[in-house]
Amino acid sequence: MEVERADAAAEIVARDLWLARGEGRAVLRGASVDVPRGQVTALLAPSGAGKSTLLRCLNRLLEPDRGTVLLDGVDIRELDPCALRRRVGLVAQEPAMLPGDVAANVGYALDALPAERLEAALAAAGLDASFTTRRADALSGGERARVAIARAIARDPELLLLDEPTAALDGDAADVVAATLVRLARDGLGICLATHDLALAERISDRSVRLQTKEASR
Amino acid sequence: MSRGAIQVLAAFGFLALAGALAAWLRLGLERAIVIAGVRAGVQLAVVGALIALVFDVPALSFAFVATMVLAAAVTSGGRLRVLPGARRRAAIAIAAPSVLATGLLLAVGAFAATPRAAVPTAGILIGGAMAATTLAGRRLLEGLHDDAGEIETRLALGDDVRTAVWPVVRRAVTTGLVPLIDQTRSVGLVALPGTFVGLVLGGASPATAARTQLVVLLALLAVELLAALIVCQLIVRAARAPGERLHDVPAIS
Repeated sequence: MEVERADAAAEIVARDLWLARGEGRAVLRGASVDVPRGQVTALLAPSGAGKSTLLRCLNRLLEPDRGTVLLDGVDIRELDPCALRRRVGLVAQEPAMLPGDVAANVGYALDALPAERLEAALAAAGLDASFTTRRADALSGGERARVAIARAIARDPELLLLDEPTAALDGDAADVVAATLVRLARDGLGICLATHDLALAERISDRSVRLQTKEASR
Repeated sequence: MSRGAIQVLAAFGFLALAGALAAWLRLGLERAIVIAGVRAGVQLAVVGALIALVFDVPALSFAFVATMVLAAAVTSGGRLRVLPGARRRAAIAIAAPSVLATGLLLAVGAFAATPRAAVPTAGILIGGAMAATTLAGRRLLEGLHDDAGEIETRLALGDDVRTAVWPVVRRAVTTGLVPLIDQTRSVGLVALPGTFVGLVLGGASPATAARTQLVVLLALLAVELLAALIVCQLIVRAARAPGERLHDVPAIS
């Protein structure tokens, strides 16, 4: 299969991804997307078009039936999956909270997370330091979404994949998160924002990609 | 009338009493009670005859134990049928610890290496391993389905599959062991366990019965823990996909 080489600025290049899930239903039909460094890329598509599936293919939580995903020009199947996922963070649309308090969630699987880094990650997601001792399973949907963003940011990923990150947030919280994403991109992080919110995409993204699909051939 | 005939008559007298009470109260259970009681009578009669044969022909012990393992694997595997090769995996989880423990108990001389000691010991341990396999296996399959979001979160944060599913495995193993741990803690206080009662009724001294029961109970603890761990390991291996991922696990009914 011919695969375009990633250019110098492109961190992730996904080409011609096909994936059928559950009774052979084709979810991805030749989807392609680039996620360059230092930019917010909005991945636009209506609900059910495969945005969440595509994001999971980019950090190998799902494996496409066909197609290739390159990270810095290297096929991600050649990389250690755990190391890949630490480099390419994912914030799911309905993120699960792990047992314990917010600090335990944000610091999960990190050897040590200094208090200032914990609080900085929370602040970037629009949460103040008082949240550190809150039980994660008692948080509202919007608070969970922000803790999930803080959890992803705290491990200093190179790229961040977000699935409808502001869907559960009110206006002010959504503004804080949007501003954080813009700032992180300016600091060099590559961000892929899957959303059906055109207004949000227009406001914060540097580039937009409509989920490219080909006519199903099977 | 012989003691044996009186025992059988007494047993079926209680069955008739339970059936009649259920019918009088219109519980709708009389048919199920009678069928279960008659079936138990037939099964025990057949098993009694078979074990008598095994006592006469010791080589048949192996076939008898193998049949018990097979029956246990079919029963447990049926409860885990969303898992590919469920019966085969259940057979491994049940047979490995129970047969090994039986062999150890016979090898060290805890019980005589005769069919009369080996077959019932293997039967108790196989039964315990089956219960633990079913309970832990079902709980793990439920967890892999119900807690898929939590597991995916751990994977997305950089865990490997083994680490990501460990909390679910731990809960499953705990579920599999709780009934036996409770039974072991309360032995002699809440109820007298079957081995003790059987030995005392059979004429053994209470001290011998208590000692034998202790061996069985503590061996069961190790066997059931191993069975639960093995079935969980086999389920995780089946659910694992290349690239530190998990296949979708369907809901179990």
